[in-house]
Amino acid sequence: MAEVKLDCMYETCPIPLLKAHKKLQTMKVGDILIMETNHTCSITNVIEWAKKQGYDADYIEIREGEWEIYIEKVK
Amino acid sequence: MASNRIEELKKRRQREIKKKKSQVPVGVTFLIFALIIYAIFLATDFKSSMFWIIGLLFGIVLQRARFCFAASFRDPILVGNTSILKAVIIGLIIMTIGFGIIQFISIGDSQDFDIENIPGYISKVGMHTVIGAILFGTGMVIAGGCVSGTLIRIGEGFILQIVVLVGLIIGSLISAKYIQFWDKCIISKTHVVYIPRYIGFSKAIIGQSILLLLIYFLADLYHKRNNIMK
Amino acid sequence: MKVYDTILKKPWPYWVGGILLGVLNVILLLETKTSWGISTGFLGWGVYILEKFGFDPSKWHYFVMNRNTFEIGETFVKNHYTILILAMILGSLISTLLASEFNWKRIKNKKQLFFGLLGGILMGYGARLSHGCNIGAYFSAIPSFSLHGWIFGIFMFVGAWIGCKILLKFIL
Repeated sequence: MAEVKLDCMYETCPIPLLKAHKKLQTMKVGDILIMETNHTCSITNVIEWAKKQGYDADYIEIREGEWEIYIEKVK
Repeated sequence: MASNRIEELKKRRQREIKKKKSQVPVGVTFLIFALIIYAIFLATDFKSSMFWIIGLLFGIVLQRARFCFAASFRDPILVGNTSILKAVIIGLIIMTIGFGIIQFISIGDSQDFDIENIPGYISKVGMHTVIGAILFGTGMVIAGGCVSGTLIRIGEGFILQIVVLVGLIIGSLISAKYIQFWDKCIISKTHVVYIPRYIGFSKAIIGQSILLLLIYFLADLYHKRNNIMK
Repeated sequence: MKVYDTILKKPWPYWVGGILLGVLNVILLLETKTSWGISTGFLGWGVYILEKFGFDPSKWHYFVMNRNTFEIGETFVKNHYTILILAMILGSLISTLLASEFNWKRIKNKKQLFFGLLGGILMGYGARLSHGCNIGAYFSAIPSFSLHGWIFGIFMFVGAWIGCKILLKFIL
């Protein structure tokens, strides 16, 4: 039940998504991925993708234009 | 609905975060500035005022909807998501009907019309279109945004996209400087293909709408079936 | 507050964007007889800069074969493309500020810089060769019933596929 951090600051589309995919494959079921990103598209792009894969996902804004995305590997 | 653990995490992090500064006053200032320019254009040149206000709205809509043409082409290939592509197709269907009616009104029933006078974006088609599109598509994916996306991201504060803009200017100049070669071997031999000229307006509008709808449903099917990354 | 958040803070669904962009482009065509286009404006800016350095690009073959690149009364800088480009950047800035999401985002590394510039040049080159970018030669061209819009759209997929290969191999 670990929390894994992933730094995606200053990355352009679609690198955050691909990085998240790579990281999630190494994680165990029940782990939560915490992505930090400042790319405006990621909060729609990554969340939509994660939900489509069947993961739980949500985000909050931590600073102006910077977000933390949470993805729980449920299966 | 996100799971309980994510909700917990969100609450915990929310407490740690300092209150954000509101940028709304600055935004309103820029909005007023934009509207003053609109008023000046409106008083001097109606056409320019139209380009200005619609341009502003294009910018706002693209930014608010996170609309990215690059993603509409890239995501189906990369992750099998077609939600943006479907949104683009919806737009295309609306415009097919709108543009069709406008074009029909402006040239009427007559069969011999001058292509130059038709409102819209009509151009020669040939191998140069194919080569240009492939180069454009490749550039769009590696630069992380298409032309409209680049402009939107400059507005969002991405410095990288200013570099892309410089690249766009350089690329345009190189292309225009050496276009003679392409003109000689390809472009001058190609023609404009304006679909209503061959099949008439009603068939063109209805046919294209049906074709786009068909592509929409195929994209939808692809979206549901596909999980390339698995 | 809740209405404000829904409209100006949370991202809109993509389909809302699609509908609005379509409607706006139809209004633009109806009122000005010109549809949405962008990339020709970049050529104009480039030509203007070269002129400042003493070159004479307006004699290039490109402007011989495309006599009406810019409409009557328009110059390389003062034209409707420039108005659209500046308005779009300003619109995006306003929308970002109203959501309190603006910050400067620096370039991460040299690789990003290199691929950004290369991608830009490829896009610029491709756009001039096929007379338009993803907006002019695709989003405005398909509804104009010009076959080049369809061809451009289809082969943009081929380009995007090549781009994805490069992306996975070199950038990730």
